[in-house]
Amino acid sequence: MFETRRLSSKIILQVILTIMVIPFLFPLIAMVQESLSGQGWGNYRAVWALGVVPEFFRNSAIIAASVIVIVYVLTMLAAYGFSKLHIRAREIYFWMMLAALTLPEVVLLTPLFSTATRLGLYNTYYAVVLPLAALQIPFAVLLTRNFVNGIPDDLFDAARVDGANAAVIFWRIIMPLTRPIAAAIVILTLIGAWNDYLLPLVFLQTPSTETITLLPSYFVSEFSDDQTKVVASAVITAIPEIIAYLCLQRLFERGLTAGALK
Amino acid sequence: MRKSPNIRRSRRVIPALSVLSFLALFLAACAGGGSSSGNAGSATSANLTWWGWSPSVQVAQQYIKAFNKTNPDIHITFKMLTIAGYNAAIRPALASSVGPDIFDVAPGGANGSVETYAPDAIDLGPAVSKALGSDWQSKLSPIGVSSLTIGKKLAAVSVGAVYSGTVWINQDLFQKYHLTPPTTLSQWVSDCATFKANHVGCFVQGVGQTAFNEDTLQAISDNIKPGVWTNAIAGKVPWTDPTIVKALTIWKSMFSDGIMEKGALGVQQYPDANNDFLAGKYAMVMMGTWYMQNTTTAGMSAGISGAGISKPKNFTAMPILFPDVAGTGTTGALYGDSDYGIAVNAKSKNQAAATKFAVWLGTSQQGQAQVANALDDIAALKGVQPDWSQISLVNAGSQKAALDKLITSAVSSSEPRLATVSPNLQTAIGNASTTVASGSATPAQAAATLQAAAAALPDHGAIGPTPAG
Amino acid sequence: MARQPSAAAGRAAPKGRGRGPRRPSGLPWILPGFIFVVGLIYYCIGYTGYISTLNWDGVSPNPQSVGFHNYDTLFHDPVFWDTIRHTVIFFIVTFVVQTALGVTFAALLHSRVKLPNLYKVIIFVPVVLAPATMAPIFRQIFSATGQFNTILSDIGLGSLAHPWLAQSSTALPVIMAITIWEWTGVTFILYFAAMTQIDREILEAARIDGAGGFKVLTRIVWPNVRGTTIALAMLSVIGALKTFDVPYLVSLGGPNYATEFLGTFIYRISIPTAEVGYGAALSVMLLILSLAGAIAFGIRGMKRN
Repeated sequence: MFETRRLSSKIILQVILTIMVIPFLFPLIAMVQESLSGQGWGNYRAVWALGVVPEFFRNSAIIAASVIVIVYVLTMLAAYGFSKLHIRAREIYFWMMLAALTLPEVVLLTPLFSTATRLGLYNTYYAVVLPLAALQIPFAVLLTRNFVNGIPDDLFDAARVDGANAAVIFWRIIMPLTRPIAAAIVILTLIGAWNDYLLPLVFLQTPSTETITLLPSYFVSEFSDDQTKVVASAVITAIPEIIAYLCLQRLFERGLTAGALK
Repeated sequence: MRKSPNIRRSRRVIPALSVLSFLALFLAACAGGGSSSGNAGSATSANLTWWGWSPSVQVAQQYIKAFNKTNPDIHITFKMLTIAGYNAAIRPALASSVGPDIFDVAPGGANGSVETYAPDAIDLGPAVSKALGSDWQSKLSPIGVSSLTIGKKLAAVSVGAVYSGTVWINQDLFQKYHLTPPTTLSQWVSDCATFKANHVGCFVQGVGQTAFNEDTLQAISDNIKPGVWTNAIAGKVPWTDPTIVKALTIWKSMFSDGIMEKGALGVQQYPDANNDFLAGKYAMVMMGTWYMQNTTTAGMSAGISGAGISKPKNFTAMPILFPDVAGTGTTGALYGDSDYGIAVNAKSKNQAAATKFAVWLGTSQQGQAQVANALDDIAALKGVQPDWSQISLVNAGSQKAALDKLITSAVSSSEPRLATVSPNLQTAIGNASTTVASGSATPAQAAATLQAAAAALPDHGAIGPTPAG
Repeated sequence: MARQPSAAAGRAAPKGRGRGPRRPSGLPWILPGFIFVVGLIYYCIGYTGYISTLNWDGVSPNPQSVGFHNYDTLFHDPVFWDTIRHTVIFFIVTFVVQTALGVTFAALLHSRVKLPNLYKVIIFVPVVLAPATMAPIFRQIFSATGQFNTILSDIGLGSLAHPWLAQSSTALPVIMAITIWEWTGVTFILYFAAMTQIDREILEAARIDGAGGFKVLTRIVWPNVRGTTIALAMLSVIGALKTFDVPYLVSLGGPNYATEFLGTFIYRISIPTAEVGYGAALSVMLLILSLAGAIAFGIRGMKRN
């Protein structure tokens, strides 16, 4: 974006970037330090020794993947509909969806719990996956719709002149061109689903379904609070998300150069 | 133009469908009471779930293992919930038919308030009476029984009690600088000055977590004139009573006279103050009898390494009486309640087995011995003391006598701590402590605000059994 | 199918909606998502609305109906107005700073700099970390004897050292700083994606014309990411009203309610104090305010088109 042909501007940009990033780095270092203080690597060993990490990891992965799939599919369909197609009273539907985003999670607990138990979904993945997906969709639709707005209408008109119907246009134009925002949505949905604490706390009962966010509670009791292990659990929880981010970044950047408009 | 006729028709059908679908969900959820009654189930073989914020996972497993020695076929899974998350999780769980068989409750208005959840629990009085005989009430610590009895129902069996009123010191630090634990306010101030001159913290408190400020205020108030605090809670005496105002004034002076650490309002008792004390950064902290777990070699090492110190060096932690800050000579007040009790879910399908565990943990010699040895709670069953031969103290020479004395004094105290304080009253007291600490209100103003808030509450904000005296 | 960019594609495409009957209906496309979201969440909204008319603790079988009394209490509650004030300040500051940082980072990382992935990870990781674990670390950093004050005195600004979280005046800025640290990564990711839609030719042309970095940023990049900015504004309003984790975990809404927000207030009322009816009324207010704020930004965004 900025000019990097001259060495001096290259250096200036790098320096500015580095200075801006330092305040972000500092707490991260503090966090890693904390996770290695006290027993050092023993903290990680202690978390591992609980014996539930692989299971919790698997559960979190299943839940996150399910939420991502539901959110991605429904969002893409809805964003296309809201952005490029005709709907009477479109904005009303849109604002109604957005309203679902406004409630704090704690308020949803009791009504969701009665429904979940009545439908026999208590202690199943569904009890967590469905509300999480429902909460993420408005947010994803807002962002994706905006992105799709930025795709020039001429493309669609040209395609329609060529005889393509809405479904073909969706598949051939929308899907490839939305890769950048799709990657962003997948990452943000992954974070939302992976990090959720309140819903698994209430709806998941046994280690066969519990998620990785419940790890710290093994180290926090009424009169003791072993922060070193809590932070070690947090690092363990964060690593898959960071790896996913790095992989997705590479994936969507490749997608950019391959099928890009420019 | 390719609008198919189907779409035109579905334009009307689909919005209607969506309204119907969500109505359906709404009705499904709201319809009916959905409460199923429980079952006694087998008393010898069952799979039980136990939800609680206490004890820690390791200690819970110790209890369960000990229980399984005599009841091998009753399997119990303990689900540890954080204090902050407990109410959020337990309420819907108890309302459903798939909640835990056993769950923690506590006196007072904080998490797991026994008053709120008593309707969901069965009366354990008959079972306890069967186990201990008809004079069972005299065999158990009165605080444990009264604070968990709602109406005529013994809603839960107390596992153990915790008392506050003590200050814990790092004896090694005191000895290093040739200081003796303070017994007066002026000695406290001068001890702190010495520590500060040597770049050691003096006293640390998480003033941001107001529940612990209540302990300190109660200690000061009891020092000025015993009984006023509990009467104020009960509404028998207004919060503007001179004793309370004086307590708030002394509280304020702790901040201006250099006792409280700098920035105390932004500190939380757990984990911050606790870690700071265990890391040896401060010589004193106000904690209660639950801090006894830091007198054992294993407990203290775990605590210190949990505070981030890589080569934990155990030090001698000792309880002292709250200093005579008002100069009245009345010291040694201890006030406490049941730390938590075990209740049996009225909807449980395994009530017999669950009751068996509850009664074992709370009233049997074996169960209570386990509790006493864990050292965070003081046993509910009278006469059960920790078995020191099984406990490895950091400094048995100094600590054993002090701990024995502490336990004996505590057990004979009947002054409640949090059992009679409703959440709203607790908030109001907390506000008084922080507004005085930050200087945004004078002690008199804060007391008046507190009185106004309390007077606006039902029963002046008191709940549970009426405090004695 | 023709894929040549038309001449008009050079700038942000005109939003040519309502181009008449040629466009197929979008309704079947949005309905699956709509029904799913509305079906699950609206029932919770309805339930909350119903409880807001009760005086109830969430458990006992006989709630007492009090009509709009909870709303009346709400409007007279000074803590409620405090939360509104804090939210407004919080929203303005965090939104402006996060946007500035997000746009700048995205632009910088769209340029050819060394080790871009390292920077991206550093900016992004805070988003991933649960506030529950970072809270004690931040309390430590901002404590009277913590790293922040130490660094200040190391660089000679020791006189600026404060017990940040112990004073009502400085606690809110700390909460805002932590929030900015936490969420800039999100604005960054979204602006980064939005900037991929900016035509390189325009940037080249500007550079040839001699425009410096700052001009490029303000005259070309900024207008072209307007849509993202509006979307983020809407989400930030909702987020600011809902914000719970950081103010609750770092400072417990204190000292003396200096960092109390609607989210923390609702939690405190509903769970420990179990005044579920009042909490529900507050939640309804939150919903109304969020929607109002989002619609305000949304309409503003649409008008300019």
